[in-house]
Amino acid sequence: MLNKNMAEAARKALSKPAPYGPDVDLSKYDVLNPRRIEPTEILEQERVRDASGRLGFTPEMVRKAGYVQVNEAYLASALVESLRKQGVVVMSTAEALRKLDIAREVAWTLIRPDTDKYVATAYLYGKEQGYFIYVPPGVKVRTPIYTCLLITRGMTAQLLHNIIYVADGAEANVVTGCSIAGLHAEALHIGVSEFFVGKDAKLTFAMIHAWSKGAVVRPRTAVKVAEGGRYVSYYMIYSAVHSLQSYPKVTLGRNASTSLYSIISGEGEGIYDVGSSATLAGPGSSAEIISRNLAKGKSRVVARAEIVGESGPSKGHIECMGLILSDTAYISTVPLLDSKNPEATLTHEAAIGKIGEDQLTYLMSKGFSEEEARALIIRGFLSVEAPDLPPQVKLSVDRVTELISSKGHG
Amino acid sequence: MSNEVLRVEDADIYVAGKKILRKVNLSVGAGELHIVMGPNASGKTTLLSAIAGVEPYEVKSGKVMLAGEDITNYPLHKRVEKGLVLAYQNPPSFKGVKVSEILKWLRRKFGLDPSFTESLAEILDIHKLLGRDLFSGMSGGERKRLETYLTLSIMPKVALLDEPDSGVDLDSVGRILEAIKLALKHSVSVVLVTHSTHMLNLVRPLTNTVHLIFKGHLVFSGLYDEVVPLVIKRGFEGAAKVLRGWS
Repeated sequence: MLNKNMAEAARKALSKPAPYGPDVDLSKYDVLNPRRIEPTEILEQERVRDASGRLGFTPEMVRKAGYVQVNEAYLASALVESLRKQGVVVMSTAEALRKLDIAREVAWTLIRPDTDKYVATAYLYGKEQGYFIYVPPGVKVRTPIYTCLLITRGMTAQLLHNIIYVADGAEANVVTGCSIAGLHAEALHIGVSEFFVGKDAKLTFAMIHAWSKGAVVRPRTAVKVAEGGRYVSYYMIYSAVHSLQSYPKVTLGRNASTSLYSIISGEGEGIYDVGSSATLAGPGSSAEIISRNLAKGKSRVVARAEIVGESGPSKGHIECMGLILSDTAYISTVPLLDSKNPEATLTHEAAIGKIGEDQLTYLMSKGFSEEEARALIIRGFLSVEAPDLPPQVKLSVDRVTELISSKGHG
Repeated sequence: MSNEVLRVEDADIYVAGKKILRKVNLSVGAGELHIVMGPNASGKTTLLSAIAGVEPYEVKSGKVMLAGEDITNYPLHKRVEKGLVLAYQNPPSFKGVKVSEILKWLRRKFGLDPSFTESLAEILDIHKLLGRDLFSGMSGGERKRLETYLTLSIMPKVALLDEPDSGVDLDSVGRILEAIKLALKHSVSVVLVTHSTHMLNLVRPLTNTVHLIFKGHLVFSGLYDEVVPLVIKRGFEGAAKVLRGWS
């Protein structure tokens, strides 16, 4: 049941463009009614295997995923049973909103439905598809919870609302893979994500995207981290895309911290307008935003980063690096530091360049072919120290990094 | 020379289209140590780089033969596969590329001899550099020791070492010398460019031939005692005049 006031505001926002990224006509996409289905119905589909395979997810990983959504169909898998013993909840957001007070309390509190036309569309027509994950106080879930959001049907609008709530003193690692079957498919993916990290809690969230030349992707993410909490995000995209625009916002309470990593590999004629924003709202809070941006073909990559120092003492650092692999590609970095408190120490560094001839020649002087040397340099460029990533998640990240570097020959 | 591994024959050497060295001839036998001397900017790095096949250095006429095979037109990495490796004077830094990753790749590609590489790593004190980014933030000594290690570890037929002792502490010079000795023992031929009298004194007993480059020519190749004392006494120009009647 939609909130009357929010629905009214959302309806007014249906034509409100986002401040960044190209404006998109959403009317041409098909919105399908959500339905719950059996695992066999999803997992045996060839197109599901194609889409999940592009994420580096094996069929076993998909089978064990906590939540799988294919177009409008979803399932919560057997893994949920083992998590349930610890009081962890993984279910569709629609179901959570029907059954759980906590879901109703927090839904749509971090992102307003009238934020822009994409959020408004998800709010009005998404029917609360997406996942809800709840980790009770003090419960530390070491094993990553995998979620898989796939599109296998052309012209589909996948409209999702995801909520993660990690209660006080709890910990969770969530890995979300979003992908599409077929390299040319046209589709729309809007994922509205609201994450809550409780007092002294920790959430590590890794998201891997593999889309298609025709995919329009508009994730909308907001995160609230309570006192002493920690939020780590690791975002990777390594496919062509029509356009992707995303600017997650993290708000940090007293002594809370965040590390936001993004690895963007632009290709084709895709537009990638991706950033991260952190607000140091509580004293003792800290944020680092680290991005690596590759652009080849005719891709255009805009890497945004913003840290707002509202209270002090607090610390924020932005590191934004770009590597251009073709003469027709474009990268722009837009780091923004905004201090409202003299005790906030904010810094940034940014650089854009190409692969150095001296580096290539040097590696070739040790026996590398030019192709091998390029791949090694790209892999080095993409490798950021992210100590919070659990080993299993790091394996997925490494697999994708390998894929990017092995095909990164401009 | 029956055990000859490297021969440069009448080579005219160019850098970016400009002739730098004329009609160079030299011959290196297996397990021999050759020193290349000459004033700054005389073409020592040019000679080594052209033999290794590093662009924009180029042998335009003449030949480079490795173990009887004409490698003049081979690309850089092919020459390495054939057993000819250059150690850079100033290798570039790499962020994010770990030393251990390079070594893993070298092991896979060249099937390194574990006992040789272990001894070499110990001599050059490499173990603590394994987790570091390649040359990034390293001291002069660390860079030179690592570059020497990466060059010698594949046990090439010929190692071309371009001033491995410049800008390093005495301890590192000693370690690099020991590494050269180990390589020579394993029949690796070494062509060494050096300016330092300290290094020259240390390598004297090991040296087979010293080559003197002056004004675009390899003016003389001879025994250590024929060349080095003369250079120290009369300078490069004076030595070139005496040895080749240069004027």
